[in-house]
Amino acid sequence: LISGDLNLDSTLPSKLPPPPVFRSSAAPPPQGSPASRRARDDTMVGLSEGEKHFIRGGIAQDLRADGRRRLQFRALTVETGIIPQANGSARVRMGATEVIASVKAELGKPTILHPDKGKVSIYVDCSPTAAPMFEGRGSEELSAELSVGLQRCLLGGKSGAGAAIDLSSLIVVEGKACWDLYIDGLVVSSDGNLLDALAAAIKVALSDTGIPKVNVSLNNETDGEPEVDISDEEFLQFDTSGVPVIITLTKVGKHYIVDATSEEESQMSSAVSVSVNSHGQICGLTKRGGAGLDPSVIFDMISVAKNVSQRFYTLLESAFAAAEAVADE
Amino acid sequence: MGDLHLRLNQTQRVRLEAALHELQALAPAAAAVTFADNIPVNPEDTILKGHGTSDQDGEVVATVCGVVERVQNLVCVRTLRARYKPQKGDIIIGRVSEIASKRWRLETNFSQGAVLMLSSMNLPDGIQAEVCHIQHDGSLDLQPRSQKYGKLQRGQLLTVPAYLVKRRKQHFHHLEQYDADLILGCNGFVWVGEHAVVDEETNSNEDQHKLSMEVEAFTPLETRRHICRLANAVRVLSALGFTLTVELIIQTAEAGLSSDVEINNMLGAEFYVQTAEREAKRRADLSRRMNGPR
Repeated sequence: LISGDLNLDSTLPSKLPPPPVFRSSAAPPPQGSPASRRARDDTMVGLSEGEKHFIRGGIAQDLRADGRRRLQFRALTVETGIIPQANGSARVRMGATEVIASVKAELGKPTILHPDKGKVSIYVDCSPTAAPMFEGRGSEELSAELSVGLQRCLLGGKSGAGAAIDLSSLIVVEGKACWDLYIDGLVVSSDGNLLDALAAAIKVALSDTGIPKVNVSLNNETDGEPEVDISDEEFLQFDTSGVPVIITLTKVGKHYIVDATSEEESQMSSAVSVSVNSHGQICGLTKRGGAGLDPSVIFDMISVAKNVSQRFYTLLESAFAAAEAVADE
Repeated sequence: MGDLHLRLNQTQRVRLEAALHELQALAPAAAAVTFADNIPVNPEDTILKGHGTSDQDGEVVATVCGVVERVQNLVCVRTLRARYKPQKGDIIIGRVSEIASKRWRLETNFSQGAVLMLSSMNLPDGIQAEVCHIQHDGSLDLQPRSQKYGKLQRGQLLTVPAYLVKRRKQHFHHLEQYDADLILGCNGFVWVGEHAVVDEETNSNEDQHKLSMEVEAFTPLETRRHICRLANAVRVLSALGFTLTVELIIQTAEAGLSSDVEINNMLGAEFYVQTAEREAKRRADLSRRMNGPR
């Protein structure tokens, strides 16, 4: 098929592969990450007009390209304990999207300002195997965007207040020793809805995490520095009931969908990511995309996300249970 | 089966394994090799070593994973996961990746881009796909042969491994019962879309105008259901590694329809298992019929 439409539509600067000849005549893409993000998505997929029309029509008619309805998820599979060196790890697949999350715990020192809290950091990396444009520095922008999105939803304020992960449970000796959690996400294969998949993977990885039990003995010889003895056998499970999942509602045309594929994401006007905890409370909200939304639509989206999240929790739990069953075999 | 990431329960796993085992037993003894495997040859024959083979201490050794093919003296290994290798006369589907003033460059799952000269196009018309015309210094020249070839509208493009589509007489299929078009490109691109009427007398300007007017008129829901069903049938079959033929695709789509499987659930574990079992049964019947009269 031939996707080239030769009429230059300058209102669409994010036209797929902009031919060099035409580039000068097309309006420069507006600055800022949402617009450039859309431009990148478009080049990533490079759909023809016919396909775009088909996708938009499918969303309007509540029957998407793979037969899903608007608020249906793709098949979800979970694996746990895939990285032996990490304290906890998980692989989550949603359709063709595949992400890995690992949790590593290290003993560190709490900051002077918050002597009663441990530290958590979240970083996401996009593997070049997912898409050629992630090679070199190509993934930096997307990685940063995903990292920030997850940090906002999981970490709370600068002081650590309001974090989904209970930071005071990470403390070993107040003011002296605490656990530092390093949460790393890796995008192995990208077919849309990365943020939701990463959040799910992190939640599962945290459930899989065992933090070694420590024996502390205060020793006067070492200037009051505690001597910490890490147990190899005993692990403490982590309370993850407060860790939220993220539901991204992607708005295409007049409707919004969950679990968008990258083809569908290329057609989005805006996307609202709502993080919801298991009690149905909203923990975070991010909006992407340059197009504006009516406040009432946002409220509507939040309530839809809340309902959908309960279904997603059930899905995730059954997938997690299946993964545990496989691991036990 | 590396592609299958399904959540199978115990019985489903057993059934799938049984079906795949049966399929393996039925398959003609194709010698699959991994690299560094010896390929048995008769030392008295003169052997021509083709693609994917190498001479190691007087023995023929595979350098890639794949299936051994022998044509008279020529021994070569056909890889399964390779890019598309074009042959003259193939009907392929491509995606335009670059527009220049006189030509379009198409992405066709070949190691290089394919070139479509605009002088050879009847712009812009109804439907789809081109014929690979000349291969010349390794790059690919394409030519649309008739009004049948051209731009594809309203539908979805699926990509499957190229080896799953065999060269046949007919690659364009109009499935009347579904009002859908199915095009199996030799390069592993499969198009499922709304049926487009090929009008020999297309007035291009008017047509273009009509299209922009029709922007809000979407594919009818019934047709879209069929398109999605067909597309999911293709997805299931290619994930299971079955050669894609029109008959098999329709059969799979119909099976989903008759057993009341929701379109979305066609990608679920149960339907995979059923499809594998059905195909195993079909091939078993076929081989029994072939061997039966004797």
